[in-house]
Amino acid sequence: MSYTAADIDRIKLIVGMEVHVELATRTKMFSRAPSPACPEFDPHDNASVTPNTLIDATVLALPGALPVMNKAAVDMAIKVGLALQCQIAPITKWDRKSYFYPDLPKAYQISQYDLPICFDGSTDVPAVDDKGQVDLEGEPTRIGILRAHLEEDAGKLLHEAPGGGAGGAIDGSIADYNRAGTPLLEIVTQPEFTSSAQVVSFCKQLRNICRFLGVTEGIMQRGHMRFEPNINLQITMKDGKFIKTPIVEVKNLNSFKSVQAAIEYEFQEQPRRYFTERREMGPGTKQTRGWDDRAEGGRGATVLQREKEDAHDYRYFPDPDLVPVVVNDEWKERIRATIPELPLARFARFMDEFALGKKEAAALIDERDVCLFYERTFAAMESLGIDHARAGKLAANILLQSGAKRANEQHVEIHQLGISPEQVASIGKLREDGKLNNQNADELFGLLCKDIHHRDTETQRGHTDSDSSQAAPSSPSTPLSSLCLCVSVVNASSVFPSVEQLAKDRSMLTVRDDAAMSKWVDQAIAENAQAAADVKAGKLAAVGRLVGAAMKHSGGSGDAKTLREAILARLTAG
Amino acid sequence: MSRAGNAPELVRASIDRLKSVNPRLNAFVEVFESRALADAQASAINSKRGPLAGIPIALKDNLCLAYGKTTCASNMLRNYESPYTATAVQKLIDAGAIIVGKTNMDEFAMGSSCEHSCFGPTFNPWDVSRIPGGSSGGSAAAVAAGIVPLALGSDTGGSVRQPASHCGIVGVKPTYGRVSRYGLVAYASSLDQIGTLTRTVEDAALALSVICGHDPLDTTSSQEPLPDLLGPLNTPVEGLKLAVPRQARSDANHPDVARVFDEAIATYKQLGATIVDVDLPLLDHGIAAYYIVAPAEASSNLARFDGIRYGHRAKLEQGDDLFDLYCKSRSEGFGPEVQRRIMLGTHVLSSGYYDAYYNTALKVRRRIKQDFDRVFADCHAVLMPASPSPAWKVGEKLSDPLAMYLEDIYTVTINLAGLPAMSIPAGFASVEGKQLPVGVQLVSPAFDEARMLRIARQFERATDQSARTPNV
Repeated sequence: MSYTAADIDRIKLIVGMEVHVELATRTKMFSRAPSPACPEFDPHDNASVTPNTLIDATVLALPGALPVMNKAAVDMAIKVGLALQCQIAPITKWDRKSYFYPDLPKAYQISQYDLPICFDGSTDVPAVDDKGQVDLEGEPTRIGILRAHLEEDAGKLLHEAPGGGAGGAIDGSIADYNRAGTPLLEIVTQPEFTSSAQVVSFCKQLRNICRFLGVTEGIMQRGHMRFEPNINLQITMKDGKFIKTPIVEVKNLNSFKSVQAAIEYEFQEQPRRYFTERREMGPGTKQTRGWDDRAEGGRGATVLQREKEDAHDYRYFPDPDLVPVVVNDEWKERIRATIPELPLARFARFMDEFALGKKEAAALIDERDVCLFYERTFAAMESLGIDHARAGKLAANILLQSGAKRANEQHVEIHQLGISPEQVASIGKLREDGKLNNQNADELFGLLCKDIHHRDTETQRGHTDSDSSQAAPSSPSTPLSSLCLCVSVVNASSVFPSVEQLAKDRSMLTVRDDAAMSKWVDQAIAENAQAAADVKAGKLAAVGRLVGAAMKHSGGSGDAKTLREAILARLTAG
Repeated sequence: MSRAGNAPELVRASIDRLKSVNPRLNAFVEVFESRALADAQASAINSKRGPLAGIPIALKDNLCLAYGKTTCASNMLRNYESPYTATAVQKLIDAGAIIVGKTNMDEFAMGSSCEHSCFGPTFNPWDVSRIPGGSSGGSAAAVAAGIVPLALGSDTGGSVRQPASHCGIVGVKPTYGRVSRYGLVAYASSLDQIGTLTRTVEDAALALSVICGHDPLDTTSSQEPLPDLLGPLNTPVEGLKLAVPRQARSDANHPDVARVFDEAIATYKQLGATIVDVDLPLLDHGIAAYYIVAPAEASSNLARFDGIRYGHRAKLEQGDDLFDLYCKSRSEGFGPEVQRRIMLGTHVLSSGYYDAYYNTALKVRRRIKQDFDRVFADCHAVLMPASPSPAWKVGEKLSDPLAMYLEDIYTVTINLAGLPAMSIPAGFASVEGKQLPVGVQLVSPAFDEARMLRIARQFERATDQSARTPNV
């Protein structure tokens, strides 16, 4: 039976994901050479980006060198596994995956073949609305996690990198083994995704979970996370029969945008490919493709890398240089105890405890460091005597208004503005006490940011001006090691006086001079007799005009809330 | 090892002897004359005297040393200089030993004759028309010829014990995991173990006391504490039970090997040990299992020699691609025996053959272990020949790899079981008018080196075989 495109009744997308996460250990998976995925590693420090500086005898596979397992990487793998509801293998081992390539020093990669450290898990992927925003009211999709195993990353061939090859900045071929041996956790899902939006939601959530767990910084531009969707379609014909297209694996995607685009591209292309090639899913039909976002006039396309027929025989066998790993309950429970509240749980809690809107809550959990900054801010507010629920709301307001605006302008995240959570909390305290009006609060926020921002401008420009694909946040983010799960005691009371002093020096503090205020109120009422009459008659809406007028007379130093109270007291008293 | 005399004299004597006999033996591939003499001078004035202070030693050239070359007797690494020193070697240096040179070997430790070397064969000091055994043939010849009292070798399937037997000296392969493999260029990682070649059992015990122990750089190295190896050496063997496997009395043994073995049994009986006949039914399957496991691991371990980062890189022609670079570099860099084992290993690991070969071999390996466990439930050690025949003529078995492999029949099984074993001089075969040494082998339960050395020492004391030296 030879179908044509006209016979199609409906098409179902089937996607399974493979995600590589570079674990942020200090040293490599099997050697004591420093790892470039470690947060303390600065990609802009020239010494550390010089090719082949993060190496040792083991990384280079010198004769006689042996691997020694990095336990910190195993800890992190277990942590991710537990967060993804996985079983943790009581015994796991290391296998050699053999193939020749100049970026692979031993000509085999140490990986885990048949006994992955984590297996049989699942995660609930939140629904997203039309704008890609997390929608908690929508039904989440449970996606099975097939396995998550540890392995080591390969190096890089610099002629394949930007600036490499003939005519580029890099002369000839350089094999750079700085990345070689970096611990990688490969997470494999069941083929249970049915839309690209779902996949992206999963990828974002996984990144966020990993960041909250402190196992990676998740900087996409630095390749901390790489996504590989396995895509095929079930095409149902009008006669009720269906075919499945061959699976396409798209390698090495390092942005959410490219994940989405590659899946959507394959969704469009696979029916066309089927009707010309007539190939269905089956042994030996799998294709490996890459994503070229400049192809097809900038719309992007997947390009064939290799057919499964000429796939390698990896000749897996247990690595005799390494002993099996026995994970007992004590070890597992010790790791479980370090798992913090995950981002989705925080999202729900913020909405519940602080009456935040969906959008506000989403904005606060989107970036781990922003979320931690937020939590430190409201904890500091609490330490200044503001009630918990109020502190959560107030901190969100200040950060999402004064903070988000500036972060946007400067292309950084809120926590990188240079203002500290304790300073933000101090602003909140001044607001709460009626000593600072809205406008001055925002200005004060700006002043406190600028202090540090000036110092940072130079370096920042240097980074962002370079090739955009190389751009990375300049300010150091919270080191993973100090990423604690709950907020520790914040000493905001020592910061508060200096913030208050700054506001005072800039004449920002609301004048609490009752005589002056009384004068502004009198003037406002005198100028707006009609509004005053309306308020007296019970039309409270009219008070706004009076407040505005009084504020004008104060020259901006009055506090709207206090003025409003004073006006109401005056007009309703008599 | 004589600890009398001073270091410069010992090292000078060693180098003089080396210079006079090595041209006939080709035991050394590199000599550190000036460095060794300088080290000896420094040692002489060093107040901290280690247990091996001033003792000249030699290293098989698959042990990494931070100076000189580490070639593995291969064109692949002919000019390779290791930036670091192997753990076991460093321990010897720290104990005061002076390294006079690196010794010849079968390329990457693959061979039983020391003929598969890019530097040409080493010759047996007892008859220079014959092989010294292998693969640690250079180390064995150097010790037998009196150049050094101690040399390190490596034993993957008998590469210390068999040349020791052929050269009439003591060769010990400790329990797998006793000595760190860090810096030993891997042949078959699950079988490789650094061992000692010495004239006497006591010297072996002394050297082992230095090199054994856990190393954080080798996670397969054991945490098992090392008991005193020297103290118990002179305790009689009376009352100990020695197992003699029926399978070791094979008709395939050379008549002189069979005779020497019977004499050794008689000696132990005289010393008061009880001889127990046992069955080791899987002994005969050792060779088959070994020649699957070892090449499999070798094919993977030697894959790193790809001409990219170090080692031999072929000259490429116009139009050659990456595949040609790999193919030509490896074809030129590796000798025929190494290529044979890489191909064998690649084949047995390839998909579709893995279960039939590799997995089956692992099962045999487990059964072999169980066989030994059963024997050791009742006996203190196993006594068997080290090699079925005395040293053969150079070139005699080169064209018949299978015949060469079968020479390892009594040794490979021990590596598969991970057990400690040693070869001790036990007598001589008379072949074509020449006296050729014949050793016997002792095998012990894991980590029972102390008792094994004691059993060996009592034999040595009763027979005094190790007193005989060749006339090179």
